[in-house]
Amino acid sequence: MEGKKRKQKILIVDDSEMNRSILVDMLGDDYDTIEVVNGLQAVNELQKNAADINLVMLDIVMPEMDGLEVLAVMNQRRWIESIPVIMISAETTSDRISQALEMGVTDFISRPFDAKIVQRRVVNTLLSSAKQAELESLVAEQMYEKEQNGLLMIDILSHIVEFRNGESGLHVIHVRRLTEVLLERLAVKNPAYGLNHENIALISEASALHDIGKIAIDEKILNKPGRLTQEEFQIMKTHSMVGAQMLGGLSVHQGEPLVQVAYEICRWHHERWDGRGYPDGLKGAEIPIAAQVVAMADVYDALTSERVYKAAFSHEQAIQMIIGGECGSFNPLLLECLQETADTLLELLNDKGREHAKPQKDLNNIVEKMSQHSELSASNRTLRLLEHERMKYSFFAAMSKEIQFEYTMSPAVVSLNAWGARNLGLDEIVMEPLEDPRVQAFFSHGLGEKIHDALYSTTPESPIVSFEGKMNCNGEMRWYRFVLQSLWTEDEPPELRGVIGKAVDIHSSRSYLENLERRASLDGLTGLLNLTSAQKQAEARLRENPADNYALAFFDCDFFKQANNTYGHLFGNNLLIHIAEKLQKTTRSGDIVSRVGGDEYVVFFQYHQELEPIIHRIHSALQGENFDGFTISLSMGVATTEQMGPDFTAMMQAADKALYAVKQAGRGQYKFYDGSETSLTDAKGASVYTNQSEIIEFE
Amino acid sequence: MTLQQCYENLGGNYQEVSSRLPSEKFIQKFVLKFLDDKTIELLQSSWEAENYEEAFRAAHTIKGMCQNLSFSLLQESSSQLTEALRGGVTPEAKELYPKVLADFEKTASAIKAYKEGL
Repeated sequence: MEGKKRKQKILIVDDSEMNRSILVDMLGDDYDTIEVVNGLQAVNELQKNAADINLVMLDIVMPEMDGLEVLAVMNQRRWIESIPVIMISAETTSDRISQALEMGVTDFISRPFDAKIVQRRVVNTLLSSAKQAELESLVAEQMYEKEQNGLLMIDILSHIVEFRNGESGLHVIHVRRLTEVLLERLAVKNPAYGLNHENIALISEASALHDIGKIAIDEKILNKPGRLTQEEFQIMKTHSMVGAQMLGGLSVHQGEPLVQVAYEICRWHHERWDGRGYPDGLKGAEIPIAAQVVAMADVYDALTSERVYKAAFSHEQAIQMIIGGECGSFNPLLLECLQETADTLLELLNDKGREHAKPQKDLNNIVEKMSQHSELSASNRTLRLLEHERMKYSFFAAMSKEIQFEYTMSPAVVSLNAWGARNLGLDEIVMEPLEDPRVQAFFSHGLGEKIHDALYSTTPESPIVSFEGKMNCNGEMRWYRFVLQSLWTEDEPPELRGVIGKAVDIHSSRSYLENLERRASLDGLTGLLNLTSAQKQAEARLRENPADNYALAFFDCDFFKQANNTYGHLFGNNLLIHIAEKLQKTTRSGDIVSRVGGDEYVVFFQYHQELEPIIHRIHSALQGENFDGFTISLSMGVATTEQMGPDFTAMMQAADKALYAVKQAGRGQYKFYDGSETSLTDAKGASVYTNQSEIIEFE
Repeated sequence: MTLQQCYENLGGNYQEVSSRLPSEKFIQKFVLKFLDDKTIELLQSSWEAENYEEAFRAAHTIKGMCQNLSFSLLQESSSQLTEALRGGVTPEAKELYPKVLADFEKTASAIKAYKEGL
C-alpha cells in the first residue's frame, strides 16, 4: 500500500519549456507532473482529468489562450472549487495579479523561483484543499448514511407497521429509547463492547424492526385475547426467524450495517443468557449484544405497558421481575445497567412525550466531528490518510450504483458521475440538457414536472427534498428515489442557480416491499383478505357511499374442530381452502371476502334488490356439501347498514350475535340480526387487538 | 572556467541564484539548457514580421527565464522591452530591441565558452 500510493498530480501550464523544467525539477519525485504549453491545452487536460488533478500551476502570458482565460473557464465549469491554482507568472502588473486573485487563484509565486518557497507553497495549497475536500466528503458521507438508514427504515416500517395495532407502534418507539439508554450505560461500564455514538444510534434504530416477523403470524394468534395454546405458541415463536429472513430478502441493502444489526436483533431478541430462549438456544455471549439489549428493553416495555389481558406493572415491579429472572435470564452486566439507569427509565415511563425524536443530535454530531478534524497537521501521513478517505468515499459512491448529477442553470450544463452516465447512456457532461431529446426521454411521463415541483418547493434554508418516482429508462419504467439539493445565489433575494442530486434505483426493493405489503394484507392459508385489510376496504366503501345498502355475513363451519381432530390438520386446512374457493365463486368480484381466522369468514357486499335470496345462495352453495366424507354445515349471521348504519364494527358485532343465536338454535342455518339475540361477544369480552408475544414466553 | 566565472562574464548574479536553487548541478543544468531555448528566434521572427503581440510574449518569456536564472543583464533589457511592447510597438521598443539582441549574444557566448571548458 505504502509504495503504491498515488502521487498528487500537478498540471504545469507555461509556454516556456525552461520554466516548466525548473518547476518539475524543483518539485522532484514527490509529485506526478503534467506539462502543457498554453491555456487551450490546459483546458483540454482538465476536461479529461479534472478529477485526478490536485493542483494547477498557471502562467499568465501565453499564446493561444492566456492564464486569465483559463481561470475564466475553470470558474465556469466550477473546477476552481475543487482544484487550487497557483499563479507562476513573471507578470508584475498589479491589476492583472488582483484580477487573477479575484478569479479564485489560491496563491502566487513570483519570479524568480525559489526552490524551497515553491515546495512549501505547493504543500500548503495541496494540504488546505485536501482538508476541505475531506470535510466535504465527511459531511456527505454522514448525510448519505443517515439518509440510507432513515429512508430504508421508513420504507419497511411504513409498509408493515400500518398492519399492526397502535399498541405495537408505540412499543417500537419505547423499545428504541430504552435500548438507547441501556446501551449508553453499557458503553460507560464496559468499553470492550466497542460502543460509540454511531453504533448506539444504529442499534437503537434497528431495534424498531425487532418484531417485523409478526406480519407472518396468523392474526388469530397474534390478536388472541386469551392465553395461547402450546401449538399457537410454537407458531408465535417463528416470528423471530421469519423477521430475520425478511431482512435477508432485502437484497439491495445487504451488507448495510443497519440491515445486519437488524437481522441479529430480529433473530435473537428472544434468546436468553442461560440458553433457554429461542429460536437457536444461544447462550451467554453467543447472543449479539444488540439482541441482548433489545430483549431487555422489549421485556421492560411489555411489563410496564397495559395490555388487554393484563394490567401494567409498576416500574419497580417490572425491574424486580426482570432481576428476579421471571422473564428469563439476562447478562448480569445488563442487569446492572438496568438498575443503574432505573431513574432514567422511570422518567421515560412517566414522560408522556417520550416518543419525541431528537434530530438536532445528529447535526451536533457532525459539527463535533468536523471540529475534531479541523486540527490537521501538515504531515505527509495526514495527507495520505486524507487521500485514503477520499478514495474510500469515491469507491463507495461508485459501488452504491447511484446516478449522481449536478445541474447549473447558467450555463445550462448537467454533469453526471461516471456510473450514472454509463447507466443512462449519456455523456458525463451534457450542455443544454433540457433541450436534449435523449435527456427529455428520461423526464417523460410526468417525472420532469415532479422534479420541477420538488425543486421549487425548496428554499435556501431547507434546500433538500426527496421523493420517489418512476423514470423511463430506455422504455422501462423503473422506480427511483430522488434526493435533490437546490443551489442558490448569494443575492438578496437569493435565486435558484442549480441543483445537485442523485437518483437511486429502488425498483427491486420497492417491488419486494409491495409484495410484503400484499402478503401482509392476505390470509396466508386461503389467499383471502385478512380481517384488518377487509375492514379497511369495507370502511373506505362505507365512507364513500354512506347511504347505500351493504350487508355483512359472518359465518363459521360447524363441527370444524371435530373434523380437524378426526381427519387431521391437513384435512382441516384443505377444507378451509375449499370453503374460500367456493366463496369466491359464489360472490361477485367486487365483494369483500375475508377469512377472519380459524374457521370464521366474513362476506361484505353491496345489494340493490332483496337481500335474502343472495344470502340464501351463498349459504346453500356450501351447506350440505360432502367434502371427502365430511358434510359441510354453516352457521351464519347477517347484519345490514339499514339496521346498523355505515359502521363496520357495529355490523360485525350484530352479525356475531346473530351467528351465536344460530349456534344456540342448532346450527346449519342463517339468521338476520333482529336485536333479540343474546350476545356471544359479551360473554367472551370485547375482541380487541392484543399483542402478547412479548410476555407469553416468560410464563 | 567555474560556473561563478561564467555568471560574471554574462552579467549575472551567481550569489542570488545559488541561494534560490538547490545545487550547483541544478543551476548548471538550466544554464546549459538556455542555449537550446528557441524563444530568441521567436522574438526575431515575430519582430521582423511586425507581429508585436507575439514579440511581446517572446520578450516576456525571455525575461521570465532570466529572472529564474538571475541573468541580470539580459533580464534588465528584456524586461524593458516587454514593457515597451505591452500596448503595441513604441519608439522605445525599437531602441531597446537591438540592445536585447546584443545582451543575448553576450549571455549566450559566455555560456558557450563555459560549456567548452567542461
